[in-house]
Amino acid sequence: MTTKVSRQVSGHVVLGTLGVLCVFPIYWLYATSLRAPGDIGSLSPLPWPLSLDNYADAWRTIDLTGMLVNSAVVAVCTAAGQLLVGLFAAYAFTVWRFPGQRLLYLLFVGSWLVPFQVTMLPNYVLLSRLGLLNTIAGVIVPTLCSALGVLLLRQHLAGFPRELLEAAAMDGRSSWATLWTVVVPALRPVLAALGILLVINAWNEYFWPALVLRDNAMVQLGIRSFMGTEGNDWGPLMATAGLACLPVFALYLVLQRHIVNAFVRSGLK
Amino acid sequence: MFRAGSSGTVQIRPVSAIQVEKLTQRFGAVAAVDDVWLDIADGEFMVLLGPSGCGKSTLLRMIAGLLPPTEGRVLIDGVDVTHAPPQGRDLAMVFQSYALYPHLSVARNIGFPLRARDMPKRAIEAKVADVAAALDLAALLDRRPRELSGGQRQRVALGRALVRDPGAFLMDEPLSNLDAKLRAGTRAELSALHDRLGATFVYVTHDQIEAMTMATRIALLNNGRLEQVGTPEQVYDEPASTFVAEFLGTPPMNLLDVTLRSGVATAPGVTVRLDLPDRDLILGVRPEHLQLTTGDEAMLRGHVTRVENLGSEEVAICAVGAATVRVRARRPIGPRAGDTVALRADRFHLHLFHPETGRRLVPLTHQEISCVS
Ligand SMILES: Nc1ncnc2c1ncn2[C@@H]1O[C@H](COP(=O)(O)OP(=O)(O)OP(=O)(O)O)[C@@H](O)[C@H]1O
Ligand SMILES: [Mg+2]
Repeated sequence: MTTKVSRQVSGHVVLGTLGVLCVFPIYWLYATSLRAPGDIGSLSPLPWPLSLDNYADAWRTIDLTGMLVNSAVVAVCTAAGQLLVGLFAAYAFTVWRFPGQRLLYLLFVGSWLVPFQVTMLPNYVLLSRLGLLNTIAGVIVPTLCSALGVLLLRQHLAGFPRELLEAAAMDGRSSWATLWTVVVPALRPVLAALGILLVINAWNEYFWPALVLRDNAMVQLGIRSFMGTEGNDWGPLMATAGLACLPVFALYLVLQRHIVNAFVRSGLK
Repeated sequence: MFRAGSSGTVQIRPVSAIQVEKLTQRFGAVAAVDDVWLDIADGEFMVLLGPSGCGKSTLLRMIAGLLPPTEGRVLIDGVDVTHAPPQGRDLAMVFQSYALYPHLSVARNIGFPLRARDMPKRAIEAKVADVAAALDLAALLDRRPRELSGGQRQRVALGRALVRDPGAFLMDEPLSNLDAKLRAGTRAELSALHDRLGATFVYVTHDQIEAMTMATRIALLNNGRLEQVGTPEQVYDEPASTFVAEFLGTPPMNLLDVTLRSGVATAPGVTVRLDLPDRDLILGVRPEHLQLTTGDEAMLRGHVTRVENLGSEEVAICAVGAATVRVRARRPIGPRAGDTVALRADRFHLHLFHPETGRRLVPLTHQEISCVS
């Protein structure tokens, strides 16, 4: 009896500790951003007195509004593009039998396994030839085809009742019309959840935009403005980072159930 | 339940005849449908009947255009549509799972085929209301499929097929998800619907009662091959093979291996006078055609091992030599388990089959026996 209780207690202690470890850096980020500029190095766990000076500073130094808009555009366009490409590819893979299908699918899966570092340089060179360096389009276009999106959507479409597609064909719809009138509406919850995942994914991207955009036009890159050779300007840096995280947290809070669902339903954890 | 449309006008609808020539579907080495020739006249209620896995659905899907055949042709009203997509065939299909669009209301499900044809909104609404009234669905038009019972879903699926006035209806076991009582009721309604519409029906089932009660003709399939095509009476009264003889009837036809020598067919417990040349045979007789007898006209002698009560009738299961013979008659049938019995049947109720091929044999004259088709 006592061992059972103690095991439960120790279990909760472990979970609690892990939870604190996960949350602490985020807490520290916001705590630091809210300290008065003079207390930035302070190690007191509670920031006091509270001050928004760092936010004001960040606002003055960089074009935060523009950056946030750019970031949002990139995240939404990337996610929408990936969703659309994934939908078309997954639909084709599940609905039609065509020669070379397995090979093509393996290539898709394979492209997911190739590390980003391998494709980074060729993509960079290509963008520079196309004159897309330092543009928002340059950030979006190379990421439009996401193998992850294709894999997840194919997983869902494989479970889609074939008889529904056949019924639509009997009812006079072409496969294009069937996609829009039957498949997409029936998969709407899945598409919404996956879309949110892809938005968050795109929003959290740092490395690729950092490579393409030299002028720090996205909020994730704006953080760099406060890092200098003479040392980092911690206050506004934390404030900008805190702002960059907010949309993702907000999305997660509002749509928590859908996001967890998307993972559970796709069979990924 | 299927009342005439509220508009009350008599519609002249196109009715399609369907021909299937040499149709074959191979999945790898397996021939799911093998060299099937079938002529379905316009207005016919053709039932494709056979055990699970015999290729009924595959055949229907090839007629529908959902599955391109490996070989052979499909003709609708004489036009070769083998390579035409389903949309070009003017056929409506009712699926076993009903395949209702889960995100659409009943009204929008029924109207779906009409919206695909860009019919004006008003006309669609009127047509949907008509069909819904005929199918007793008027009160359910705003529900989603998941909020319906099995029987209601089945009627929505039927409504979606009806709304188009197609040349022919294809149905793949539409009643198999209903309970027994609802199934019996819906059988009668489907027959009435067929009579009223005069449209061509091609109906897949493995249920012999559905086939016998609704069909104008039955096509029996076995392992992808056509065993027999005929009216319910023909396939029941003159089964073309032992397969058909055993598939139809409850209990199925009794089949006995016998040896015919100088006018007498014998096997352990069996003595039947047959005025035919010497040969080996399979002798068939339906359980309801066997009668208990006492005299020396007995054809089969054995003992009862069990008696099953079917309510109005009883089935006596008898051991005749090594074979099992079932006798079906009004309750009480008479003998009980353990009793010895002697059985006879009228000459014209005896069926003869080839011992190897299982095909039906008909005596042409008293001197020879030939194989039917
Ligand atoms: N896509 C396929 N690939 C391979 N084999 C198939 C395919 N579809 C059907 N078959 C095989 O073809 C045969 C006939 O299948 P079909 O579905 O036509 O049978 P059925 O008569 O409709 O049976 P049931 O009454 O169980 O529905 C079966 O042996 C089945 O395993
Ligand atoms: Mg089937």
